[in-house]
Amino acid sequence: MLISNSYKSFFAPIIILLLLIALFLLGLYPDISMILGGIALFLIGMEYMEGGFKAFSGGLLEKVLEKSTNNTPKAITTGFIATAIVQSSSLISIIVISFLSAELITLTSAVGVVFGSNIGTTATAWLVSVFGLKIKISVYAMPMIVLGIFIPLFLKSNSWKGVASIFIGLGVIFLGIGYMKEGFETLKDGIDLAQYAMAGYAGIFVYVLVGSIATVVIQSSSATMAIIITALATGQIDYANALALAIGANVGTTVTAVLGALKSNENGKRLAVAHFIFNIVTGLIAIVFIYQLAELVDYLAVIVGIGIENYTMKLALFHTIFNLIGVLTVSPFITILVKYLNTIFIPKGIYKGKPKYLDKTALILPSTALSTIIMETKHLYENAFDIITHGLNLKKKNVLSSMDLDEVIKDLHERKTIDIDQFYNHWIKNIYGEIIDFSTKAQVNMSSEYIEELYKLKLANRDIVDAVKGTKHLQKNMIKYTSSQNEHIKAQYDDIRKGLAELLRTIHTIANTDEEDVIVLLLSKAKIHAQRYDIITNGTLDKLIRKGLISNQMATSLMNDSNYAHRISKNLIAMAEILFIDIKSDLKKLNEDLSMNEEEVNLLIKEQK
Amino acid sequence: MSIKKFIASVIESLKLDGFEKSGKKKSIKRLLEKLELRKEILNNTYKKKLNKKEKKELKEELAIITLQIKKGNKILDELNAQNSKNNQTKKEI
Repeated sequence: MLISNSYKSFFAPIIILLLLIALFLLGLYPDISMILGGIALFLIGMEYMEGGFKAFSGGLLEKVLEKSTNNTPKAITTGFIATAIVQSSSLISIIVISFLSAELITLTSAVGVVFGSNIGTTATAWLVSVFGLKIKISVYAMPMIVLGIFIPLFLKSNSWKGVASIFIGLGVIFLGIGYMKEGFETLKDGIDLAQYAMAGYAGIFVYVLVGSIATVVIQSSSATMAIIITALATGQIDYANALALAIGANVGTTVTAVLGALKSNENGKRLAVAHFIFNIVTGLIAIVFIYQLAELVDYLAVIVGIGIENYTMKLALFHTIFNLIGVLTVSPFITILVKYLNTIFIPKGIYKGKPKYLDKTALILPSTALSTIIMETKHLYENAFDIITHGLNLKKKNVLSSMDLDEVIKDLHERKTIDIDQFYNHWIKNIYGEIIDFSTKAQVNMSSEYIEELYKLKLANRDIVDAVKGTKHLQKNMIKYTSSQNEHIKAQYDDIRKGLAELLRTIHTIANTDEEDVIVLLLSKAKIHAQRYDIITNGTLDKLIRKGLISNQMATSLMNDSNYAHRISKNLIAMAEILFIDIKSDLKKLNEDLSMNEEEVNLLIKEQK
Repeated sequence: MSIKKFIASVIESLKLDGFEKSGKKKSIKRLLEKLELRKEILNNTYKKKLNKKEKKELKEELAIITLQIKKGNKILDELNAQNSKNNQTKKEI
């Protein structure tokens, strides 16, 4: 899975490094070794939990995020709840980036989710302070891990494997916290870190810096918070300094986000900037008003029943409050922020033959992968549209206008043939190849329902490619006969051009309307009109030959080219049925039932005669 | 109980199994309304003075819409029949 891979590449070296240092220090400083081992376990546990939630949700997360982010307050709440449950703001961020790439949510909603996600991350502090330090870890952690190992042996479904991973993750996290706590406790006998406590703003700045550096090194603010809380619980650090360390953890996480965004697409970079601005503003507010916030925490602690001496829970409360204040402060400026974000990281030199939407972040979820493929297929069709109109010697703007079709075919694009092969190689081949490659990768994580949709999309892509190839064949005689002295053959080729121009216009209308009756009518019409190319059945060819109006060579060309035109029409109609109707929810349910079959088309043609 | 079984029992207890069918019924009803309205508009236009080309086009559209309304009504009847059959079976149980 992509998320796991990206995480492994992020966490794996840190975990290995921590374990190596822990091994190295085992003899000399067993307590420090224990703390480092605890941190490594905490990170491993987080990775397990994240993977578990992903497998367990099996699309639930994506549905919730998609449907509950249509306005900013909802997006913030969703970001908060989702992160608090999943215990990973990174997972939520990656999902949001993939949603943005697939255009399933707006940048404003995405920023809202990221803001909410910041409050959600404070759940880790609560988890550690409420449960992690109070229950006897060794009693609960081991059964959880054992349960997690045994579940997949009996229950084979992916959902149960997900549950198992969550159990293992939680168990390992608790085990990690246990080791950290124990390490700090024994360390106290040797070195008392509390002696380095610093009062006043100098202390605040120093500890903010320490918290930031620790988070940048460990690459996880949750892990830093766990260390801070366990150190605070064992009296290794002062409460005031712990508050500064917590602010530092928040500031440090922006560096993690920025580093992660370096490899990301422009959406990822924009979100990282939003995250950076949010955390810096929140951090500054927290530093400036740290004493007032500490008083507020004392006041609220009494109300919610937290003991005045319970510093760990008070720290968790502080962490939540200052993130909440950050959200309340920055949220009113989301519109301005998004306006600014839209002006940065604009990709330079987009060229027509390059995929616009295929981004590996979208592979993380089946729905985003599918939406991305739909968008890219539409992009492919846009390019095909240009090639086909050009190949038919039509002007794109005329086809898309309401100009009379007889006028459209008279206004020629140019008098010479274009090299469709060259256009195909530049504008189609690469994108088509990338779509197929992306689809193959996406298919790995898909259920049969999604695979069926994906299969249809692959067919739509093939239809587009075939239509372009058909235009190439059609074009050979097109220029020759549309400028022919023989008005009969000229009229036939103009009719082919007119028919295809009408079809391209129809598809454009279908793609841009929500009126189901218009779509049904236009598609049926297109199917009937495609039959005009069956010049053998409708007697056109017979009439032209019998009356000696065209030569034998012309007749052969016309027969072949009508066949090509018929195939292009069929390809484009089939593509439109998949790409522009199948994905419109209401008609999707009815498309198969209402789509006109060949028999019905012939019946209507007969009726008209 | 496996998660799949659990979901199935939730669907059954919340009577969500007919949800998709009722969604389809709603969609077809809405579409039929729109098609009927369009047919009426086309019929009214047909009465106006039109040239041969326009008349031919209108006739074609009318034929398509009439066919689609027929098909839509047939689907609706089938869905209604299926629904009443299901209700009857439930009562018998």
